[in-house]
Amino acid sequence: MGDVFVLAEHRRGEMREITFEMLTKAQEIASAIGGETVAVLIGSSVDTFAERLAAYCDKVLYIDDPLFADYNSDKYQIVLGKLIQDYKPELLMVGHTTQGVDMAPALAVELNLPFVTDVVDIIIDNGKLKPVRQYYSGKVNALFNFKGEPPYLITVREASFEAADGSKQGQIQKIDFPLKEDLDYRRFVEYVEAEVGDVDITQSEILVAVGRGLKEEKNLSIAEELAKAINADLCGSRAATDAGWLPHDRQVGTSGKTVKPKLYIALGISGAFQHLAGIKGAKTIVAINKDPEAPIFNEADYGIVDDLFKVVPKLTEKIKELKG
Amino acid sequence: MKIFVCIKRVPDTSEAEVKIDATGKDVDSSKFSFDINDADNYAVEEAILIKEAKGGKVKIVSLGDQESDLMIRMALAKGGDSAIRVEDPRINVKDPLKVAKVLAAAIKQEEFDLVLTGCMASDDGQMAVGVALAEELGVPHAAMVKKVEVEEGKVRAYRELEGGLSEVVEITLPAVLTIQTGINEPRYAPIRGVRAAQKKELKVLTLDDLKLDEKEVNEESSLVELEKLFVPEVVSRAEIIEGEPEEKAEILANKLLKGGIL
Amino acid sequence: MNTELQSFIQKYDLLGCVQCGRCTGGCPVTVRTNLNVRRIVYDSINESMLEDLAKLPEIWDCTTCNTCAVRCPKGLKPVEVLIGLRNIMVESGIIQPTVRDALESVFREGNPWNKPKARRSDWMEGLEVKIAEPGKKVENLIFVCCTIAYDPKVQVIAKNLVKVLNKAGVDYGFIGDDEVCCGSEVYAMGELGEEGLFEMLVEDNTELFNSYEAERIVAISPHCYSVFKNQYPDLKAEVIHYTQLLKELLADNKLELKKELSQKIVFHDPCYLGKQNNIFDEPRYILSQIPGVELVEFDRSRERSLCCEGGGGKMWVESESRKERLAEIRVKDADELGATLLAVACPFCVLTFDDAIKAKGLEEKMRVAEITEILGEAVE
Ligand SMILES: Cc1cc2nc3c(=O)[nH]c(=O)nc-3n(C[C@H](O)[C@H](O)[C@H](O)COP(=O)(O)OP(=O)(O)OC[C@H]3O[C@@H](n4cnc5c(N)ncnc54)[C@H](O)[C@@H]3O)c2cc1C
Ligand code: SF4
Ligand code: SF4
Repeated sequence: MGDVFVLAEHRRGEMREITFEMLTKAQEIASAIGGETVAVLIGSSVDTFAERLAAYCDKVLYIDDPLFADYNSDKYQIVLGKLIQDYKPELLMVGHTTQGVDMAPALAVELNLPFVTDVVDIIIDNGKLKPVRQYYSGKVNALFNFKGEPPYLITVREASFEAADGSKQGQIQKIDFPLKEDLDYRRFVEYVEAEVGDVDITQSEILVAVGRGLKEEKNLSIAEELAKAINADLCGSRAATDAGWLPHDRQVGTSGKTVKPKLYIALGISGAFQHLAGIKGAKTIVAINKDPEAPIFNEADYGIVDDLFKVVPKLTEKIKELKG
Repeated sequence: MKIFVCIKRVPDTSEAEVKIDATGKDVDSSKFSFDINDADNYAVEEAILIKEAKGGKVKIVSLGDQESDLMIRMALAKGGDSAIRVEDPRINVKDPLKVAKVLAAAIKQEEFDLVLTGCMASDDGQMAVGVALAEELGVPHAAMVKKVEVEEGKVRAYRELEGGLSEVVEITLPAVLTIQTGINEPRYAPIRGVRAAQKKELKVLTLDDLKLDEKEVNEESSLVELEKLFVPEVVSRAEIIEGEPEEKAEILANKLLKGGIL
Repeated sequence: MNTELQSFIQKYDLLGCVQCGRCTGGCPVTVRTNLNVRRIVYDSINESMLEDLAKLPEIWDCTTCNTCAVRCPKGLKPVEVLIGLRNIMVESGIIQPTVRDALESVFREGNPWNKPKARRSDWMEGLEVKIAEPGKKVENLIFVCCTIAYDPKVQVIAKNLVKVLNKAGVDYGFIGDDEVCCGSEVYAMGELGEEGLFEMLVEDNTELFNSYEAERIVAISPHCYSVFKNQYPDLKAEVIHYTQLLKELLADNKLELKKELSQKIVFHDPCYLGKQNNIFDEPRYILSQIPGVELVEFDRSRERSLCCEGGGGKMWVESESRKERLAEIRVKDADELGATLLAVACPFCVLTFDDAIKAKGLEEKMRVAEITEILGEAVE
């Protein structure tokens, strides 16, 4: 009892960062409540992963079987259900990722577990675990209590915790598992890469937007460089598409497109009402504008009041540096 | 094909300031506008597209008060055939697992081939109801689906993963799919149609109608409880980064990369 | 839907068209888009073509300025044919997402901007604004307009009007959060016909307005004014435009314009005020009363005023054209006249010209201002 389990997440031969973020936090929780950290690894030919994980936890439980070559929520659910019943951990942490959200809620229902999703922090209050999650896209935080008995299940938001360097030498234990043949009701078929082709900015995850502040078409390269460095698509205000710097279908706003990127970087855009209406759904907005009174700063999360020609090339440079 | 679509009415808080009310456990929603949850709107459209291609019926299900009727009528006007709205003050609507249990009870009353939900509600961001619902119904599921191909007795679902990659899975019917925004372009419901949809069946059911015991879905039955809401430190106006141009660029680069935004 | 298609010819009197081309000849957007309204009137006679015609993108380039209807020698309203074609798309449900969102927003929240109904009068904060009460007598019931209520750039229009009205001691009242979209743009985007959104707005607004004991309804935007005046048959109160009210106040010496404004002003006639409702003189009268002002005229003024492309749904639909915007032509003309202030009496005109002035790099030489703003300065 008192152990903290973490489901290791990997895809196409790569461990995903969320795993180490969770293990780092798990370590803190386990020491506070007097338990061990256990990484659960499910896959096929994953010995090297197991070794890597051992540096981050007290124990790695792992299943290595061709039946688990590709991720399948239902198979994971079966395995985790069995492990939970056998080991009775205090807490199981799963990433709030496309893998985790496809599986964890079903597991919570199946085993009737106290369950909190999209956790951004866990507070330890007198030995009690209190998860924190957010509502209204981060405008309010909520502190939760578990009422029922452990094991508790949470899904953890990516980048909520910083992964430390692993310096442990956990024990590695291969385990047998109950599933003997493939499931007939859910079958993995294949991975499909995003089609490269015409950019549809309504689907873009990251956007660099330019406005009249860019002054001339030849300056577009400054925005393009930044976009390239962060894998973004380019779009603009009506002023930018009117000027012909960008095609018509890259216009954002009431008479253009409504976009919902994770990140929207507005360069030299004042933030007219007609423009802002198109970026309501953006998660994080960064504005670079030399006018401190520009309305865009009312909507932005981060702002730089300065000449974009001075700041943007530096920003691109720093990002490239940091990305290595 | 008999398709159920689960939809929810949510507040639009994207530009409004969110204030916590006197109870400390809820927010003051008097200044919000409300609409169908974005992803649910795509789920409705997808259901209607499937119906148009394969024939069948689309039934709208929602858990909510009477104010949800407008959104339900709009979904009916677009091509839904009938609707169920569950309203019962005893249900803990804040617990996604309880919501899933109630929706399952409503759907289980009839036969179904496919259940669509949005992959996430914009207010609470749980991303849990659809998958929990599948478990309650005892059918397979796929979450965050951005493309659907319906075949005989099964569907191919393209799940959108991080970084633009899709995972294609084949699941047998009946099944639950949680639908990602952008899977289609939702149509407009002309208001004439919305008015005409008054004539379509909209049943309002309670826990008793669903033969659910209140002890299964009320607040006491939840295994987690909200202790309090609090406003995070981030302020509503932009955090202005100060310094020389180069310093500002560096600070911003760090925030974007290390803050998990990029 | 079929019966509606059949009545298309009758409804718009299409057989009366003699194909003279005066409509297209006067249509301002022909210089920058593919819209040929004469051609569309002609093709609409063929019922089987209607659905294809409705899908042409240029149907949405029309700004509903009404020039074509003014010019048609046979009394046809070509613009209505275009709106009828938009209606076919609206009824099919397949319309641009931006138009869809605007219309749905009007239905849900009473404004096309996807803003909460409960924040409609946020602009009043910090001002002394009188709110009218249903059942109580009020001389002037003021209707704000969705765009003025929510777009910070044009909220100043309403704020200045409040200032002027308070100064003049007028008996007035605003409606507050209960105010709902007038339907002008909803109509222009084709959400019309029996049981449609436009009809719903007309019914609801008529009921709302008639619940007040108002002598007059004063619309601030010409778009609201025009629709109340011409498409609301059952209003008890008289409908006027605010420029009419202000002219009255000035003529009765209820307003004193003390502050000198040494500017060369050119007034742009908004389509919905001028060529559609023949209000030409009031704005000019008001401006002429401001000490120091030199008033000049566009070559294309009054009935011939060049549309600014702000109305007719253009807030939600962009034309593919890269050619110079009409508003840009207009500000260049104003510059040639040596005007330092481009005066308008419509919120859409403020937005289009403000953008055009920046696009043409004329910020240093000229600004656009709504008449209320100019008066707001002058009454100080
Ligand atoms: C009918 C209609 C529909 C419209 N639809 C849309 C729409 O869909 N989308 C849309 O975007 N707009 C739309 N508009 C236009 C809108 O009203 C604004 O005019 C437009 O968005 C302004 O674009 P902007 O911010 O790029 O330019 P501006 O408002 O001119 O802003 C430029 C900004 O750049 C800054 N700047 C200048 N130089 C620098 C520098 N060196 N470094 C940093 N910052 C600098 C300035 O401070 C300023 O804030 C519409 C307008 C109308 C009338
Ligand atoms: S209303 Fe104006 S823009 Fe539209 S067709 Fe007639 S003249 Fe052209
Ligand atoms: S002006 Fe009138 S009569 Fe002449 S072509 Fe146009 S619609 Fe026909």
